[in-house]
Amino acid sequence: MAEHVIDCLGEACPIPLMKVQKQMEQSAIGDVIIAQIDHSCAMKNIPEWARNNGHNVEIEEVDDGEWEIIIEKTN
Amino acid sequence: MKNFWDKISKNTYYKKIFKNPFTYVTGAVLLSLFQIAIFAVTGSPWGVSGVFANWGAWIYELFGGSVDKWHYFSSTGAQATLDNGILNHGGSWLNFGIIAGALFATLAASQFKLKKIKGVRQIVAATLGGLLMGYGARLAGGCNIGALFSSIASLSLSGWFFAIFLFVGAFIGSKLLAKFFM
Repeated sequence: MAEHVIDCLGEACPIPLMKVQKQMEQSAIGDVIIAQIDHSCAMKNIPEWARNNGHNVEIEEVDDGEWEIIIEKTN
Repeated sequence: MKNFWDKISKNTYYKKIFKNPFTYVTGAVLLSLFQIAIFAVTGSPWGVSGVFANWGAWIYELFGGSVDKWHYFSSTGAQATLDNGILNHGGSWLNFGIIAGALFATLAASQFKLKKIKGVRQIVAATLGGLLMGYGARLAGGCNIGALFSSIASLSLSGWFFAIFLFVGAFIGSKLLAKFFM
């Protein structure tokens, strides 16, 4: 069960989502992906995409305008 | 004082209105209501990018240039708008409102952040993208607000036509994005 951190700070939509999707393809079931984002629309579209695909998602506000989206790959 | 702000930040209504993003449906309904209000008050449909052409002309005039002979500004209406100045231009105030409102929204949610630039490639892409969008919007007679949103709301077929090619452009754009940025 590996942990992958993706640095998306400074990236605008839809690049953060595309990076997460790419990392998900390369990850094994049970892996955890942590996307660091500072673009508020990525806070909406990444969790939405991940939940629609049945993965576990948690959002943490780490600083003003900065979040970590933690996704556990379940399938 | 700190207690006071902590209390506000945990308040349900603060979270609902200022902190958490609205749903797409809420956003769509609000946009529709406001564009009806703009149409009712100003008498013309909402537009955003046309204003930037005027801003460009005013900046050019600041540096001693003249757009009198430019085809784009050749109508008497366009000349009158330019002569009246930016402070008497309703469209400019709408755009000031967007900028001020966006700043207020991000401050109220305490999400304001100066973002770092990722590199030369990002600067080049942003500049090129901005130029293409601005130029394209003027050729098309509007952007996704004037030529799409307001057109469709005015029951104009051109809005739907614009939408089809917006999807074509977005498709090509996302392919380019995946090629150069992933």
